[in-house]
Amino acid sequence: MNATPRTLNRFLLGVLGLVLMGIGGGLVLISVWPAAARSWNGFAADAGEGVASALSSTALPGGSGSWIWALLALLSFLGIVLMTGWMAGQGGGRTGTLVSEYDDDGAPGRVEISGTVAEQALRTALRENPDVTAAAVSTYSVKGRTALRVRITLRQGAAPHLVAADATALVETLDTVLGHQTPVLLSLEAGRRLRFSREDRVR
Amino acid sequence: MKQADQDVTTRIVRRETHSARTGASAVAAVLGILFFAYVLLESVLQVLGEQPWLIDPPTFGHWLADLPAEVDPVILGLSGALVFLAGLLFFLPAVLPGRRARYALPNPRAAVVVEGEVLAASLARCARMQAGVTPQQVLVTVGRTLVEVQIRPTSGTPVDAEAVRAAVEDELTLTKLDPQPAVRVRVADAGVIGQ
Repeated sequence: MNATPRTLNRFLLGVLGLVLMGIGGGLVLISVWPAAARSWNGFAADAGEGVASALSSTALPGGSGSWIWALLALLSFLGIVLMTGWMAGQGGGRTGTLVSEYDDDGAPGRVEISGTVAEQALRTALRENPDVTAAAVSTYSVKGRTALRVRITLRQGAAPHLVAADATALVETLDTVLGHQTPVLLSLEAGRRLRFSREDRVR
Repeated sequence: MKQADQDVTTRIVRRETHSARTGASAVAAVLGILFFAYVLLESVLQVLGEQPWLIDPPTFGHWLADLPAEVDPVILGLSGALVFLAGLLFFLPAVLPGRRARYALPNPRAAVVVEGEVLAASLARCARMQAGVTPQQVLVTVGRTLVEVQIRPTSGTPVDAEAVRAAVEDELTLTKLDPQPAVRVRVADAGVIGQ
């Protein structure tokens, strides 16, 4: 539900994986297959000459270095910035405002409803249900719309469909109160115990 | 519900039942930052005409170009295989679906997602009521296509497996899971004493 760029994650992971697999596969290939090693040596010698001539032809006036190194430094700095941006882009997507509407009814100004209105109303109402041990509500922005995420921790052995029906009724009441429908996620969870391993489905 | 809300709800359900690959991405980003930082350092040293930190780029280039030459092929092959495996560790999360143990329940208003553990707990409670055993004697495993109920009966008190299966199936039908998993009940041969 958060704003993690999933397609980008998968694409970049796939690219990194393919690059590493290519390097590793190449190393294995040239270590076990002499013909591959010979063709690699031939190719690398040509490539090395190309790089050397490129370096000498782009030498900085007055210095021994080539400006290719400066370009490489710039590109890797850019790479660091992009990688940091990628890491910072994980998660997020929380907002504070649930509704912000301009209703052309003659009165000036916009109507804004804070997310905490829905959060506190739903949390208090859900606490009445004996099958619910804890409830947490937060507001997210999904595809330019605001959505509510309701995390409900159930008592051990409670029937999820009954709690879901109860929570749905509460959400519909909230719709009436606010006069506005937002997408809602009801996430029914087992209690947060200490868990380091993968999600288990056994109980 | 409006069409736009319906679309958002469908999207939320898909995102909640599949992994976002955040962990692998963070590791990959850190590796990328380290790699670029090293390249940045060495190329700046080259620009300034200073001594290289770890290895002189031309020397490294030559070493790379006639690679199998002076290196033990076993070590080279093994390190190649390790690099390949590391690549696989990043490639597989990129292509596998990454389903989480969460199930979507159909609902007219909201996106409803249940953790498999919650579902298993409710089915276990149902099976235990029907069989008349304690919570420790029932183990329920919920899968995408199969719900497996294992019961160790109390010694001397038989458990009707068919009745338990019917009860669990009824409870499962009420959740309206789609696709509905099959239910299998296994009653252990050996009973437990003193429950």
